[in-house]
Amino acid sequence: MSDSVEDPGEEAVTEPETTGSEAEKYPLEIEEPANNRGPREDPASVRTSAEKDDDRKLVTGEAKFTADYADRFSDLAYGSVVRSEIPHGRVTDIDTSQAEAMDGVYAVITPDSEEVPDTKYTSAGQSYPEPSPWDMNVLSKHVRYVGDAIAAVAAEDRETADAAADAVSVEYEEYDYVLDPEEAYSEDAPRLFEDDEVENEIVGHDYSRNRMSSIGGEMGDVDAALEDDSLTVHESEWETIRQSHAQLEKHTSLAYRNEDDRTVLITSTQVPNHTRRQLSDLFDEPIRNIRVKKPRVGGGFGGKQAMVTEPVTLALSKAADRPVLYEATRDEEFQAMRTRHPMRLRTRTAVTDDGKIEAIDLYALSNTGAYGSHGMTVAGNVGSKPLPLYSKVPNVRFEADIVHTNTPQTGAMRGYGAPQGTLAIEGHLDEVARDLDMDPLEFRQGQFMEVGDLDEIAAIFGGEGSKRRIRSCGLEDCIDRGKDAIGWDDVEQPEEEHLHRGIGMALSAQGTGVAGDELGAAQLMMNEDGSFHLKVGGVDIGTGADTAMVQIAAEVLGVKEEEVIVQASDTDITPFDYGAYASSTTYISGSAVKQAAEDAKESLLKWGSRMLDEPAENLETGDGSVYSEETGESVTLEEIGYESTYGDETREQILGQASYSTDESPPPFAAQFVDVTVDERNGEFDVNRLAVAVDCGTAINPGMARGQVQGGNHMSFEMAVSDGVTFDEDGIAEVSDYDEYHLPTATETPPIDAMLVETHEPTGPFGAKSVAEVPTNTVPPALSNAVRDAVGVRITEMPVTAEKISDALEDE
Amino acid sequence: MSVDLTVNGDAVTIEGGQDLASGLRGAGYTEVKCGCDGGVCGLSKVFVDGKLEMACGIDASDAAGAEVKTVASLGTQSDLHPIQQAFVDNHAVQSGFSTGGFIMSAKALLEENPDPTEAEVREAIDDVYCRETGYQKPVEAILDAAERMQEDVAPDGGTVPESDRATKSNGDNK
Repeated sequence: MSDSVEDPGEEAVTEPETTGSEAEKYPLEIEEPANNRGPREDPASVRTSAEKDDDRKLVTGEAKFTADYADRFSDLAYGSVVRSEIPHGRVTDIDTSQAEAMDGVYAVITPDSEEVPDTKYTSAGQSYPEPSPWDMNVLSKHVRYVGDAIAAVAAEDRETADAAADAVSVEYEEYDYVLDPEEAYSEDAPRLFEDDEVENEIVGHDYSRNRMSSIGGEMGDVDAALEDDSLTVHESEWETIRQSHAQLEKHTSLAYRNEDDRTVLITSTQVPNHTRRQLSDLFDEPIRNIRVKKPRVGGGFGGKQAMVTEPVTLALSKAADRPVLYEATRDEEFQAMRTRHPMRLRTRTAVTDDGKIEAIDLYALSNTGAYGSHGMTVAGNVGSKPLPLYSKVPNVRFEADIVHTNTPQTGAMRGYGAPQGTLAIEGHLDEVARDLDMDPLEFRQGQFMEVGDLDEIAAIFGGEGSKRRIRSCGLEDCIDRGKDAIGWDDVEQPEEEHLHRGIGMALSAQGTGVAGDELGAAQLMMNEDGSFHLKVGGVDIGTGADTAMVQIAAEVLGVKEEEVIVQASDTDITPFDYGAYASSTTYISGSAVKQAAEDAKESLLKWGSRMLDEPAENLETGDGSVYSEETGESVTLEEIGYESTYGDETREQILGQASYSTDESPPPFAAQFVDVTVDERNGEFDVNRLAVAVDCGTAINPGMARGQVQGGNHMSFEMAVSDGVTFDEDGIAEVSDYDEYHLPTATETPPIDAMLVETHEPTGPFGAKSVAEVPTNTVPPALSNAVRDAVGVRITEMPVTAEKISDALEDE
Repeated sequence: MSVDLTVNGDAVTIEGGQDLASGLRGAGYTEVKCGCDGGVCGLSKVFVDGKLEMACGIDASDAAGAEVKTVASLGTQSDLHPIQQAFVDNHAVQSGFSTGGFIMSAKALLEENPDPTEAEVREAIDDVYCRETGYQKPVEAILDAAERMQEDVAPDGGTVPESDRATKSNGDNK
């Protein structure tokens, strides 16, 4: 997420700026547009649970996802990819003759085909230049995991394409391989990359021991605190799972050449603009020649903050000279798309006898798999998201090594390193509190973030912009709401003596966009009937972002939501946007929409002034009209629309536009509570309830926001109780479909009590900050803490299982 | 080999030699989604002669002569079925990719059991995978739909199809 990657040497240590008066440079009170607090009393749209813009076409099945465009193309071909069957080696021969001879096969491409770029690139959908190494090829002869792409086929139907892919014969020279990150991180380990196989290397790389990056930073003097005899040092180690995004819509792309001889991609992506730029680089085509259209998307969660299926689809389309649809199989999703980075972490703290934390020292070893996409930036967020939460701690250090193994590649995933870091911090602090015989909430009191704090840590560890002043923080309220919901102070034990009930909690902070590295833009144009077309680059991947954009525009323009027709995420039509990641959309794209609407409103008031013969400063928009509070007179937007379009004297198309970027990234907060019952006889446990309270500033649409919190908490729950993707000793993923991947089902998921604690973030549109990532961070530590509370044992390696609890009970 | 069947009341011919979901999608019924590699994720649920089936888990040829109903047969955007309306009103839809599976499961459940408990609702959608909602709002939507369908007129003013009108329950099902 931090995009300015310079190589300052072996270990990057960034010092924040400290010059100038900090109160002036990072003011607590900032000038806010007059309308920003406007809808609090009488909202037209913002802060209402308006109907989601696309729901009616979704519940009737009429909405179009990428694969649903197949029937628009009579000459469509289907793609299938030939993938490595070995974890590491070099392809010595690819025999495509049998596949090429099959009826209905249009093209077979290999790394040697002229349509296949040999340029190194990263699949990470990040800003330019990507802070990820350019270490992969569209098709490769050096294969680094079971599933690496070697060749591909386009054929008249899916069955033929799959059969032809099976008929491609590949011979390998097999290399030694390594699956474990600690084994990989050694000079004796099989080496995945020679130095000349990577461009755009990332800070701290040392490919001789499979390290793609090493980062670190420190505030204060951590070693001095750890060596201070008056303080108690606590140490703990943690491990997280390899979680699959498991979004229900597989990675899917459709590529074709249109009648203007331009390249068009209809694709399931979170990053249309980045994808356009990256395809342009890869295929050496001008940006203007490429159009990327995002239809409805069936979930992304970061797995589509990546150019995954687009390049091979486009190469096939060029080779077959016809439109090609490539939809990954579910098997490929688990073996060859992207996953969360599994990590091993170590936390050390130095704490006074009365519970004041003097130092936190966090280390992460991240397994980035075969390629380095998002490797450094995800690791940075392990520190930069959870550590700022404890803003009163004077000495803080974070270091991470990111290493390659011969396993599928990882990438961005909801939370983006924060879930891993939050487990290591919130689990550790719970243990410290118990050692001190303190209530874990009481222990944290006075040590976590509050309004007025000046956060340095996000800048040091995340490389994001400068210090940040905290202007909204609802943590105290989140804790109170969560405690009430879960019954913190009154835990009734089951009658059965072998059953023990426990409650665990965890706190979390995230960000709202990447500070200093975001851009969103929007345009509005009014029709003569007073309705509007809103064009916005912001990317709705199922979150309801389009609806939030409509609500923000409707609020400013004083019209009903149905008067605003939204068109989003088509690079030919909509303005630029970095895309849906880093919890940025409502804040960044939403601010652009708000300012574009204010721009259009200025024209509306000018026309209202002319038609009502009233000064514009006396006028306001509302109820589909421009009205004067002084005279009570009004003119409808439709009247303005006809007059401005067809009037006799002067005519004007009413337009609005804005682009938005900022150095701010205010944290949203969450307080998580988990209620668990554990059977001491066998370690079996039931999670009775999840309660999570989130401060997201103003919820633009509370109904949708609660849905985000519940969904994030479900994903977090999975991280606490599921195995994720595991591998056999040959590096083959042991998961090929949902029945082998433990995504908790409806009966396996406890009730999720999602609460919104409203604060006002003055830098956000109508006071909003982000919501969707922060509830993804908290269940693993809160469940570990709840089990500790129930039966006194500590599970540090995810997932929490009956076997681990039972073993720990036996060891006691 | 082609397969003749009825889909949402229309006579349709689809290609054999594939699963029913692929056949239906190829014939333009793209409301039938599939998130797995066949017969696992629950998104492709359709009624085949009144029986709820994952269309991606059965051969197209097994549906020869059958009457198939997809989620598109329930309501229209301007006149939603009460289950669809309940999903909209409860913000139970995010990307909507799994929603068809939920709605068809709910329809089958409420035909059998017009007044289900929360546990019965969870059981009925247990084979529909969702990555987005934590199932919380879909469960609430289905419970809400059950209430709505016991009314003669849906609260949104939409009409309850004759076939879905349940007699008022005396609560025996709970």
